[in-house]
Amino acid sequence: MIKIKLKCFSQVKYAMGQDEMVIEMKIGSTTSDLERIVRQRSEGKLEHIDLSIAINKKYVKDEVALNDGDEVALIPPVQGG
Amino acid sequence: MIKIEIVDDLIEPFLSHDGRLEQGSELMFNGRVRSMENDQKIIALEYEQYEGMAESELKMIAQEVSQKYPITDLFCKHRIGTVKVGETSLHVVIWSKHRKEGLDSMTFFLGELKKRVPIWKWAILQNGTKIPSDCTHS
Repeated sequence: MIKIKLKCFSQVKYAMGQDEMVIEMKIGSTTSDLERIVRQRSEGKLEHIDLSIAINKKYVKDEVALNDGDEVALIPPVQGG
Repeated sequence: MIKIEIVDDLIEPFLSHDGRLEQGSELMFNGRVRSMENDQKIIALEYEQYEGMAESELKMIAQEVSQKYPITDLFCKHRIGTVKVGETSLHVVIWSKHRKEGLDSMTFFLGELKKRVPIWKWAILQNGTKIPSDCTHS
């Protein structure tokens, strides 16, 4: 198993009720697997919300395998300015 | 030169001065908090950032701007935390030789900022309730 530190912001924080959580996943799990888990746990609160993904504070575009200790953020639409 | 700052207090504007003899254009943008959010009156916005990533994305965008347009300097301050209605949340100044590259680069910078920089707003309503802002204008 690997442990992923999930950072939650904005609507994701609102849906999950936490700023940060640790999620245990099988070795070989990917960003898509993590997104699926988070959407399931949010009980529909993230429906229709597009999520970008950052691993260790850098955006990734395609599905990427996760490593033990990665910090991952599922980033809802940003609103700077 | 590029200067990016994320601050958690009132924004102090970058100095405008007359010593720049080669730049004919000094373009300044101030983003301010409006009093209405989805037809509801608000008292403030609370800005949340992904610490570390927000600043590095801003720097990356500023570097892209300086490669794409012939500008001399781009300075930017973005405020986080509680920003009251009427206060400045974003302050950008771009210096360039001519106005066209200044205007074009400002448009590009602000557009990319609104697409990529991990900063979010929570609206604080008059009764003190805090809700995620729906505002995602490009």
